[in-house]
Amino acid sequence: MSKNPFPLDKQGLLEAYRTMRTIREFEERVHNEFAKGDIPGFVHLYAGEEASGTGIMMHLNDRDRIASTHRGHGHCIAKGVDVKEMMGEIYGKAMGSCRGKGGSMHIADLSKGMMGANGILGAGAPLACGAALAAKFRGDGGVGISFVGDGASNQGMFLESLNLAAVWNLPAIFVVENNGYAESTSREYAVAVDSYVDRAAGFGLPGVTVDGTDFFAVYEAAGEIIKRAREGGGPALLECKMIRFFGHFEGDQQTYRGKGEVEHIRANQDCIKLFADKVLDAGVIKRPELEAIDKEIVKLIDEAVITAKAAPLPTAKDLMTDVYVTY
Amino acid sequence: MSEEPKLAPTVGIIANPVSARDIRRVIANATSLQITDRANIVLRVLACLKASGIERVVMMPDNGGIRHHVRRGVERSRNLGEHEFPDLSYLDMTVTGTVDDTVRAADLMRQQGIAAIVVLGGDGTHRAVVSRSGDIPIAGISTGTNNAFPEHREPTITGLAVGLAVTGRVPEAVAYAPNKKLVVRINDQAAEIALVDVALVTERVVGARALWKPETFRELFVTFAEPEVIGMSAIAGLLEPVKRSEPGGLHVLLAPTEEAALTLNVPIAPGYMRPIGIARWQRLSAGKAHGPQITSGSIALDGERELSFSERDRVSVMLEENAFRTVNVAAVMDYAARHGLMRQAGQKERKRQVS
Ligand SMILES: Cc1ncc(C[n+]2csc(CCOP(=O)(O)OP(=O)(O)O)c2C)c(N)n1
Ligand SMILES: [Mg+2]
Repeated sequence: MSKNPFPLDKQGLLEAYRTMRTIREFEERVHNEFAKGDIPGFVHLYAGEEASGTGIMMHLNDRDRIASTHRGHGHCIAKGVDVKEMMGEIYGKAMGSCRGKGGSMHIADLSKGMMGANGILGAGAPLACGAALAAKFRGDGGVGISFVGDGASNQGMFLESLNLAAVWNLPAIFVVENNGYAESTSREYAVAVDSYVDRAAGFGLPGVTVDGTDFFAVYEAAGEIIKRAREGGGPALLECKMIRFFGHFEGDQQTYRGKGEVEHIRANQDCIKLFADKVLDAGVIKRPELEAIDKEIVKLIDEAVITAKAAPLPTAKDLMTDVYVTY
Repeated sequence: MSEEPKLAPTVGIIANPVSARDIRRVIANATSLQITDRANIVLRVLACLKASGIERVVMMPDNGGIRHHVRRGVERSRNLGEHEFPDLSYLDMTVTGTVDDTVRAADLMRQQGIAAIVVLGGDGTHRAVVSRSGDIPIAGISTGTNNAFPEHREPTITGLAVGLAVTGRVPEAVAYAPNKKLVVRINDQAAEIALVDVALVTERVVGARALWKPETFRELFVTFAEPEVIGMSAIAGLLEPVKRSEPGGLHVLLAPTEEAALTLNVPIAPGYMRPIGIARWQRLSAGKAHGPQITSGSIALDGERELSFSERDRVSVMLEENAFRTVNVAAVMDYAARHGLMRQAGQKERKRQVS
């Protein structure tokens, strides 16, 4: 067998593949099920963007906290939230991660360090600063990571958080997932500063841009940034340039996208395909090994949908539980 | 049919909005020149091109913001009557936001018979331009990370020298200098080039592209080696300097420090000194293809991992001389001063001539 040229051992590579494939299968399935009208509320899908969340989360453990966005399924899965409970939550069932009261945009699991998807753009950033401040006080080497879209990066909360993180030298990392659109508004139109690295520099943070469709580019850059933050090197911003396969939300007609844009990116810039080509080409992993994972995932997601559909809704009796917390 | 009038020279500008954005901002406190600064550099170059007689400039379009800032700058200047700029137009091309834009722009500029190309970027941007610019002279302005290729000087002067060179006021033999390049071939794929260095490293993935882990470095080819640059070519520069203008390059075999014959302290990135293990080195002569010592890994061109190869691939590296031309800014300015090119008759003298 050829020597492994990758920064991850074989098991790590398979794990990365499994995570990305799980997200993809989950999202494709939600896309199909949503069209049937069984899923309440809004869903925003992460398909096409898997390499970013996965490449970052592979450096984290349950003690590290992340704050996600409205497009949070991928972050949840990569952070280790139970896939069946997630599906249950999306269907609004009592078995869901948040007992069916949150839905797609509020999936959270503190035991996994997942502080929640978030329907309010930019609101994850101050939460990540809080988590980072706690980690700094505890001195346990933990980090707080905020994901934010290109559109949400214009929110005041996000900018204030960059300032706060720099002033307090927090182990906070700001990941700008730049897919070029905020709903239907292009980034070029709506973001006055032209580069996120410039924006970070304006607050005294180092910033880095990577190709977010290249798992290894994300993995390597995130690894350095997270390691530094753990050791007291302070906050940083990481911009992942990426691509959204589906519309902004399910039901979006996408009239603002170029003709053939989606077909082209699915054929040429699919981060999972690019990853698979690399590891297969290097001979470190054989195709049947990936196919076996694909099969397991299809089965897992299928079970998740069946279980979620069959599960009971929360009852009137549950109305006031898990809503207010007393400390 | 009447004879075509000889067209006044048009200058091209290719300004990369995404150079200086990689992981070296984090690991090495490297500079991250802002987009507005890059746009201001373009404005300074434009003003000096105009001052030296250039009426038309064509630029690569970008979606990284440079174009918008330049447009606003030109508009403000026009309103204020402050600076004069040449007519500015943009190449008609689709913007991808990747290095393909630079390659395509250089291609179009060559086809349009542009007189010279001013490049804003690091070593990688210059390499992408030279891959297509053919015989068109280029003038580099460093807005990247390591910038071993573009010389460091105020862009005002670069703009001025380009204008003086392409309007023919400085003889060609003075205005332009020949340069070397390295040609990398893998199997029968199209050749890739490097302007400064080709490094072979054991990491097989291109990943975050930059090079900062000396334990992976194995082999280095350089076109020139200056002891006052940073990056991979600094290794060669601190071993045995080779000028841009002299024939040949340098070939260095590297090793992990524990196995090395010699250890050299080298700034391989900005402010990033690392001990580098040297096995041996020799002069590199032009026209001879070299096979690598390692059988698999990746190939970094001018400091960034670009290609990966395995046991199955045939890889060769070759130095080429007189490969492309650059505007010799120092020589042009020296000539301009000695021959009074910037002089005009004073008010008093002009009055005397009239009366
Ligand atoms: C504070 C706030 N304003 C507006 C919205 C409505 N909204 C939801 S998603 C979205 C666009 C977000 O774009 P971006 O941040 O780029 O993330 P992407 O959807 O591309 O992942 C908007 C405007 C909101 N949820 N919260
Ligand atoms: Mg977006």
